[in-house]
Amino acid sequence: MTAFDYIMAGILAVFQGPVAFSFLGLPISVTVVMVLAGFVLGIMVGATPGLAGPMAMAISLPILISIFGFSSDALLPVLGFLIGVMKGATVGGAVPAILFNTPGTPDAYMTTLDGYPMAQAGQARKALKVAHFSSAAGDTFSDIVLIVCAPFLALLVERYLDLPEKTALLILSLAFIAAIIGGSVGKGIIAMGLGLLVAFIGTGEDFYPRLSFGTQTLAQGFSVTAVILGVLILGEVFKAFEDMWHNHRRAQPAKETPQQGDQRLHAADLKRIAPHVARSAVIGTVIGALPGIGSTLAATLGYSVGARTHARRHPDRKPFGQGAPEGIAATEAANSSVSGANLIPVLSLGIPGNAAAVFLILAAESIGGFNPGPAVFRFSTDTVNPELVMAFGIFTAMMLGNLFNWTLGGLFMRAAGVMVRVPKHMLLPVVLLMTLTAIYVQDPRMQAIWFTIGFGVLGYGMRRLGISPLPFVIAFILGGKLEETARQAFAATGADPWFLFNRPVAAILILAAIGFVAVSLRKPSETQQ
Amino acid sequence: MKRVLKAAVAAIGLVAFSGGAMAADWTPPGPIKLMIAFAAGGGADTQARLIAEDIETKLGWKFIPEQVTGKGGMNLAMALKDQPNDGTVIGMVVTETLGYNMLAANAGVTPEDFTAISTTAGFQMGIVSQSSKGWADFNDVIKAAKSGQDIRFGVMSPKLADIAYLLGKAQGVDFNIVSGKGGKAVMNGVMAGDMDLGFMAGIQAKGVAAGDLVNLASALSTPLKQTPDAPLMSDFGVEFNADGYFALIGPKGMPTEVRDAIAAAVIDAITGEGNKSAAMITKAFGEPATISGDALQSLVQADYDAAGRLMKAASE
Repeated sequence: MTAFDYIMAGILAVFQGPVAFSFLGLPISVTVVMVLAGFVLGIMVGATPGLAGPMAMAISLPILISIFGFSSDALLPVLGFLIGVMKGATVGGAVPAILFNTPGTPDAYMTTLDGYPMAQAGQARKALKVAHFSSAAGDTFSDIVLIVCAPFLALLVERYLDLPEKTALLILSLAFIAAIIGGSVGKGIIAMGLGLLVAFIGTGEDFYPRLSFGTQTLAQGFSVTAVILGVLILGEVFKAFEDMWHNHRRAQPAKETPQQGDQRLHAADLKRIAPHVARSAVIGTVIGALPGIGSTLAATLGYSVGARTHARRHPDRKPFGQGAPEGIAATEAANSSVSGANLIPVLSLGIPGNAAAVFLILAAESIGGFNPGPAVFRFSTDTVNPELVMAFGIFTAMMLGNLFNWTLGGLFMRAAGVMVRVPKHMLLPVVLLMTLTAIYVQDPRMQAIWFTIGFGVLGYGMRRLGISPLPFVIAFILGGKLEETARQAFAATGADPWFLFNRPVAAILILAAIGFVAVSLRKPSETQQ
Repeated sequence: MKRVLKAAVAAIGLVAFSGGAMAADWTPPGPIKLMIAFAAGGGADTQARLIAEDIETKLGWKFIPEQVTGKGGMNLAMALKDQPNDGTVIGMVVTETLGYNMLAANAGVTPEDFTAISTTAGFQMGIVSQSSKGWADFNDVIKAAKSGQDIRFGVMSPKLADIAYLLGKAQGVDFNIVSGKGGKAVMNGVMAGDMDLGFMAGIQAKGVAAGDLVNLASALSTPLKQTPDAPLMSDFGVEFNADGYFALIGPKGMPTEVRDAIAAAVIDAITGEGNKSAAMITKAFGEPATISGDALQSLVQADYDAAGRLMKAASE
């Protein structure tokens, strides 16, 4: 098969998969329906303050798996749904930010700065349109970069990196993530260390179960779902319960202002915001491609760079922060363009960079048959590499998501305004119950529930102490791979204990890892994201 | 006397009839939990799920597949050991689990603590490299190693690591033995150039047919079906082999009629024309293997005993 055949096979896998129903005699595949369903759910979830895309992904994953099973037919519908949620949540977050001054997702905070003043001035629908256009444009750009870059990066890695270098690359990624995410390097490293520790329980090459205290319960290790959903979702829910306990008098969302005037987005408006969209899309994509730096930083950076340029070039126009459409554009394009680029390290190296990517990896791992990593992009000509077909299927699903975003996104955004009225004290218990149900659906043992709650408490404690749980989760996911690669590198070099240091590329990567941590340690912690 | 004889014949007939009826009519008292020792989505997992599906379609039995992975099947064995032996809990492992792995784990269990039900497929285990290496068979690997080249030998289990070590030892060379998780990992390692050659248990078939990969030697006691000319390990002075099967097992003391009823259902599924599992097994593993009951029990016991000799040889 040629590269072109693979691309075609991937596209066909999406559109000619199992049929959900026929529309005007045209068979509509399940994957298409799932991308759309995920996208709509994502917008709703993104528009709900207190919920976020990863939460919806986490809860729906086990339910989807129980519906679709573990066959290779299940991969595209399930991943398509999750990608839809990811995309929907990105645009949805802007809705309450603009309408009610309440960001639906943390990365939409900057959107409130210009979005809400616009809404107060009676221009809410226009503001939503600006947000939609910028978000869809940033997202699409980012996806194109992903589709172009991921295969080449994977091929480079496969061709030039041997086992010791791959080990060093994993160490570098972990060091980078620990140093960048969260308030301090120390806390990041603690979280990462705990994640590795948990990953090493019950695993390993030896037949004797490691770190299990002789119990059969621990000998199998922790299920990935229990750990990730516990720390990321239950931890968040527990923390939110506490916050609600503290803030008895909840701030009511602001009233909607009556809307007036021209709400249309004219060509002149597009021309005004286009440079901001383009600049922020590049910023977001670059940031997204580095594992661990989230969309919030991208939004902040896109906004502040945009604000400076705007003030310098157009002192006559409304400045950022007072209801400038350019401000919304700069923020939304930046935070939306993170999501596609974030999958570059996931698909080409198997290294997740944010919570959404963690759930995509979790999905691939639970269903099986698709192992994100450089081996995916092996363009074998004589035999079919099904994983490569799958990768192009995922790209197709992403572009399909973008298509839905461009065509229907605006419509759903306007409808999503109601979500801000969902009361948190009812929403969170529902999330808690659904998470536990989802866990039980996938792993029908009470142990799994106890483990999840235990990790939820850990996640809560980490949040309480200001430790970001993300390095924990990423280290947990990469722990097994790190150990395996390190063991292989050690064996392959003929048991050379210095394999990380006596090869130039590996040594450079290790030095970079040490350097990142050292430099981050010297920076005062306030300046970090 | 005649009357007594008649009664006896009738009684024997009745017993025989009822026994026969039980074996044929045994139906599980509830859903059968099917533990699977392999990662979801792989060939082994798919096979187990398809067998369950075929039996569900044909006999209406209900299966609940569950992944119990890790430790070369030993996690599954330990979880299965104390389950009810009435046929409601069975597990899919490889015979190596009850052989080498069980002995190496030293977890206080032997094959006698389990009921062997039936195999489903055998491994076409070969020693494989990329054809671009230019090796025609394993003799060329030995030559390359003797000329001072570092050779990375991919394996996917400690048993195979022992065999790889013994191969090198018998030929007076040292391999760098690199262990991967499962056949897929070894295949990826070989394709990516991280490993020079490795054991593959059937996954290589397509690549060999396409000319990308070469079966350098058979790791079985018999020649490989796909490459019958490839030398055997005995040609290189190693008396051990990597013969192995996927097998269904149950806890100790499973009643014979239950064991035989499940085995019959499984064999019917994997050999039945047009069945999903039959098609999948033929495609992925060549053909179904149907060793069942006592024959399989003695096979795993023999594997277990051979494992002791292999470990001893490899530690000398």
